[in-house]
Amino acid sequence: MEGLAERVAQAATAVRARWPKRPRLAVVLGSGLGGVADSLALDAELPYGEVPHLPRPTALSHRGRLLCGRLADLPAVVFQGRLHLYEGYALAEATLPVRLARALGAEVLILANAAGGLDPRYRVGDIVVLDDHIHCMVANPLTGWNDGRLGPRFPDMSAPYDRALAAVALAAGHRGGLRIWSGVYAAVSGPAYETRAERRMLRRLGADLVGMSTVPEAIVAAHAGLRTLALSVVTNRALPDAPERDDAAEVVLAAGAAAQSVRRILLDVAAELAREEEGE
Amino acid sequence: MTELYDRIEEAAAAVRARWPGTPHAALVLGTGLGGVADAIAVEAAFDFEELPHFPVPTALSHHGRLLCGRLAGLSIVATRGRAHVYEGYPPWQVVFPVRVMRALGAELLVVSQAVGGLDPRYRPGDPMIVEDHINLMGVNPLIGPNDERLGPRFPDMSRPYDPELVDVALAVARREDFVAHVGVTVAVAGPNLETRAEYRLLRWIGADVVGMSTVPETLAAVHGGMRVFGVSVVTDMCLPDALEPADAEVIVRVAEAAAPKLEALVLGVLRHEAGRAGA
Repeated sequence: MEGLAERVAQAATAVRARWPKRPRLAVVLGSGLGGVADSLALDAELPYGEVPHLPRPTALSHRGRLLCGRLADLPAVVFQGRLHLYEGYALAEATLPVRLARALGAEVLILANAAGGLDPRYRVGDIVVLDDHIHCMVANPLTGWNDGRLGPRFPDMSAPYDRALAAVALAAGHRGGLRIWSGVYAAVSGPAYETRAERRMLRRLGADLVGMSTVPEAIVAAHAGLRTLALSVVTNRALPDAPERDDAAEVVLAAGAAAQSVRRILLDVAAELAREEEGE
Repeated sequence: MTELYDRIEEAAAAVRARWPGTPHAALVLGTGLGGVADAIAVEAAFDFEELPHFPVPTALSHHGRLLCGRLAGLSIVATRGRAHVYEGYPPWQVVFPVRVMRALGAELLVVSQAVGGLDPRYRPGDPMIVEDHINLMGVNPLIGPNDERLGPRFPDMSRPYDPELVDVALAVARREDFVAHVGVTVAVAGPNLETRAEYRLLRWIGADVVGMSTVPETLAAVHGGMRVFGVSVVTDMCLPDALEPADAEVIVRVAEAAAPKLEALVLGVLRHEAGRAGA
């Protein structure tokens, strides 16, 4: 089998054959958030099956399409459908969309996910801009031989989420009258929801949110030198001392209901990036 | 390799060929529950080697047997000897016996294990009824494509251990006049025991005991829609600031001495189930 860099290059070639532009921005949409892609002025649509090496998502409500077009007048690619560790993918495979985005020329990555709220102040439907993360998945997408062409052996994690972009997202949320927070996301493998004891542990470790994605992508993005913004929609309250049954269908519904909030922030951030570009 | 579902059905068919019963409960008889195995009115018995896809356990004192029969007025299936993550079995195979017992019809899983005590109030030989768990094994038997015939993609874990059965077991301990705790177990992969620093960490994150099994089985059981009753026997104390080297012989002796208490709890729970089922 070819190395990772070669597989990424082949995937990028296949995308360019359909859409020759260089994206400025890449977006990965998680559970129930596929509708956010409506904001894109679409030029081309590629099912993951048409992009070499891109695995097909098996998860609930993840469609598996790469959309290419313009977002607030900025060339952008949107990955509608995320790949997770719990589906059985190795993390290097699951994070291939991030590598692909980088190979196509993107400089900014926006990750959106559905997460459980550990901070008791969070309500279902709130948006949290990730300030930091705690990686509790055990597996790491960078384990193995490091290809220096893709990134450094020991990537810095002092600020995996771009502070300027986070500030733009928070301001956009406030402007729109949204309930929006800045918080720390703990990534677990799943697929079982956390027990009460596990949630108590995660809260104690310093997490405000818990989810089964995003962090592997953020690690790869930091490795690849992308500026990352991550947004969580609180789709269920993960409160150990007032437990509610977790229901995946309700999570997807809650995410869908918050898609409008995510869309608004996404467009504001894209507009800000477009202004940055003009100013350059 | 065939799909997991087909492998489960294949093994269940091998059991049904020699035992036509529908079990109410499935028992994973770990440390301290050997006596329960002796109390079963066995109607059919299988070595794990006779059953397709079953793991062949390697751990000391665990020889793999599947027993079918009656216990405490219930139709049951039970395994003696289990596969552990630390033995190198893939997680799906560790929980395979539970999957098969579920396929045979069991709606309740009873699991036991030997654990180290982290709560300083516990004493060696005390049973602890499992109220909740923390999975720190680094593996989860549900990772991989999900087969909806076996259970949902994202199983709820807000109450993996049946609270009613926790109360039933506590009532048994009071009636029989011995100490039984209710607490949180943390599962680690092992096989090395923990360092003092690790024990300190496990206590700090909220665990009362630490063990190397049970949690994978519980995850598979809840995924499959089973209720779970878990009981642990504290075989040694893991107090980071007064830690003594673990002695395997002492651990086995403590487990044997505590066996009657664990048996009383498990049989009490099964009798309660029999009363409920009207069997």
